[in-house]
Amino acid sequence: MTYSIFFWLNRNRFRLYFYRKFETGFVNNIIFSNLERGSPMKKVVGLIMSLVLLFGVLAGCSNTETSGDAKSDKKKDVDLKVWSFTDELKKPITTFEEKNGVKVELTIVPIADYPTKLKPVLESGVGAPDVFTGEIAFLKQWVNAGYWENLSKEPYNVNEIADNYVPYVFDLGKDEQGDVRALSWQTTPGGLFYKRSIAKEVLGTDDPKEIGEMLTSMDKVFEVSEKMKEKGYRMFPDEGSIRWFSQGDDPQPWVNENDELKLTDQKIEFLDYAKQLRENSYTALAPEWSPSWFEAMDKPIKVKEKGKETETEVFSYVLPTWGLHSVLKTNVKESDGDWAVTSGPSPYFWGGTWLGVYNKSENKELAYDFVKMMTQDDEFLTDWAKETGDVLSYLPVTNEIKDDFSDEFLGGQNNYQFFLDQAKSIEPGIVTKYDQQLDTFYGNAVQEYVDGKKSKDEAIAEFYKKAQNAYPELKVPKK
Amino acid sequence: MKNLNNYGYAFIAPFWIIFLIFNIYPVALTFYYSFTNYSGSGTAEVVGLANYQRLIADSYFVEAFFNTWKIWGVNFALQIVIALILAAIFSDMRVKMKGLSFFRSIFYLPNLITVSSVALLFGILLDWQHGSLNMVLMNIGLISEPINWLNEPASAQLSVSLILTWMWFGHSFIVVMAGVSGISTDFYEAALIDGANRWQTFTKITLPLLKPILLYIMITSLIGGLQLFDLPMLLTDGIGSPDGSLNTMVLYLYNQAFKYNNYGYAAAVAYGLFIITIIFSAIVFKSMYGNERKQARRV
Repeated sequence: MTYSIFFWLNRNRFRLYFYRKFETGFVNNIIFSNLERGSPMKKVVGLIMSLVLLFGVLAGCSNTETSGDAKSDKKKDVDLKVWSFTDELKKPITTFEEKNGVKVELTIVPIADYPTKLKPVLESGVGAPDVFTGEIAFLKQWVNAGYWENLSKEPYNVNEIADNYVPYVFDLGKDEQGDVRALSWQTTPGGLFYKRSIAKEVLGTDDPKEIGEMLTSMDKVFEVSEKMKEKGYRMFPDEGSIRWFSQGDDPQPWVNENDELKLTDQKIEFLDYAKQLRENSYTALAPEWSPSWFEAMDKPIKVKEKGKETETEVFSYVLPTWGLHSVLKTNVKESDGDWAVTSGPSPYFWGGTWLGVYNKSENKELAYDFVKMMTQDDEFLTDWAKETGDVLSYLPVTNEIKDDFSDEFLGGQNNYQFFLDQAKSIEPGIVTKYDQQLDTFYGNAVQEYVDGKKSKDEAIAEFYKKAQNAYPELKVPKK
Repeated sequence: MKNLNNYGYAFIAPFWIIFLIFNIYPVALTFYYSFTNYSGSGTAEVVGLANYQRLIADSYFVEAFFNTWKIWGVNFALQIVIALILAAIFSDMRVKMKGLSFFRSIFYLPNLITVSSVALLFGILLDWQHGSLNMVLMNIGLISEPINWLNEPASAQLSVSLILTWMWFGHSFIVVMAGVSGISTDFYEAALIDGANRWQTFTKITLPLLKPILLYIMITSLIGGLQLFDLPMLLTDGIGSPDGSLNTMVLYLYNQAFKYNNYGYAAAVAYGLFIITIIFSAIVFKSMYGNERKQARRV
């Protein structure tokens, strides 16, 4: 907070140091004392000295320019620049380089800084990438901002291959005019991951199909939760787990085409469901991404509530495709192989990465070649899917490979087939650019209602107020 | 002799060039944006004073203003009291505490940890179900239910204040100590001979002579405190939860600009913050030095 004092102290020390040094130093002698003597020759020397100093600094300033030139020399080495927020693209880029004999430079910016760093670069076009990825959280904003090349036009014509993609994934890459701006190689539908051993003990079976049938509506979820509780287990780690099912069977966008904010009855019902989960002790009070949330995946955890401490195990986690590889697998040791995935009350998706060509790129052809490899190349995508287990959105490849998948972690279940089926039942067209913030605001409202800090009406009113404050252009219901 | 002045310009030019590009230009541009509805991309449309009108009526900004004050105020009071007590102990001629430099570095250490690590650390310590703090308190029987520290407005604000105190008291202590060692020992010796007790020595000699140092700490801390951002951002969800209690002015500015893309309005918030900082710095300055001037005139 007060770090400025350090600069201040240091600066004074420096000032003193330089003052002492130059007081008797030669620079002052040459420039000032000689000048006072008025010798014309020495005057010139003095002038030159100061000019040299000045130019030194100016050169320092303009260094960025020169290094910019140096980069354009380098540009001949680098044929394509790619920006992304994970290292996921590293391997595909190596493949692409080998295939085409080109050099690609990948810049990885952590997700928290990604939009803020990329935006000015795209606006000015200086040092901009030829290809860049976008995450679902800001995808809708970007497809409409016009940074990505229109892929529906010549020579790309991606609309011709629209049928090759999972519908919702292809649809999300479209801008307001319906032109495709970005494509994705993956689909990220969600499921409900549960522990087989607990399922067998409590529900009498561990078969994903049968379990899925026990969870087709929220009421049924609560029935199962009650059974879990009777045997000393908890259905979910926290109340937020069920938020993906809050859309119910009639998913609607947060904001409709008239810029009106819509809070559907299903979303309001979610408030009650969340409260019920807490009041009936169906959760382990381990908020998402907290240390205890991770801990509860593998081991029994202690829950303190109503004045006593109980040890319990969590039955299920609501996670999408990537949750399996980068959350469960990386945090689970003992229960490896004891998991399975099934469907919840409604299909949903969570996350996803899209990529497209920068519209001011000088190398659009090569840039699109890379996009093409990532999203349409049968050979590459087959290898990629087999290696990473990533669920692809490109159906010609998934249709080929989906039958042979089985995951040891999930006790040999074919999760690929499962997720593809889920992906196909996701309704396209409900994502808006407001989603991320509105979801956060609504999550807060739900939390405050569940904690008993606010009544239902107060929580909803607060949600409306926050939404209006963040997005003045929205028409928010007055309450 | 006349030409002499021009050399001066050449020497200060580098500073001014850099200052103009990296300080004045952004400040001026922000000022311009505060009159527009700029959204971060595309063109900015001038909307006059609309952003400032909205700012004055914005209950979230007012809330942020009071939150910032509450958090900073508690932190500053504690920090300065601790620093003064420690300085009094270490400078006491009769106690002759040893190991000043050792303690100085120990006290300063928390300040060297990056705020993100501090936030992570306290996030774990203050965790609701599994936090060390709750475990300790429950084991010694002070509480029967775990307290969700970061989920109650009052305790969340207090947590941030205490973390800030922990981070900054060592820093204040060093500065106060520097001030104390600048006070001539003659005063203390004279006081000792006159039979002044510790409290008298402290209030009649140390405190008055430390005034400029305290003013310095206060102003830098105030300016830094009004810019409080990182801890509230990292401790909870980044938009000021619980119940908006950690919503500070700069956090609000950040969210308006980079999360909601209201760059124009965020620029107005920045200027609101700027004016508030100026006003309070002036008040602090006046209240510390105003009296002295009056007294000087009377004499």
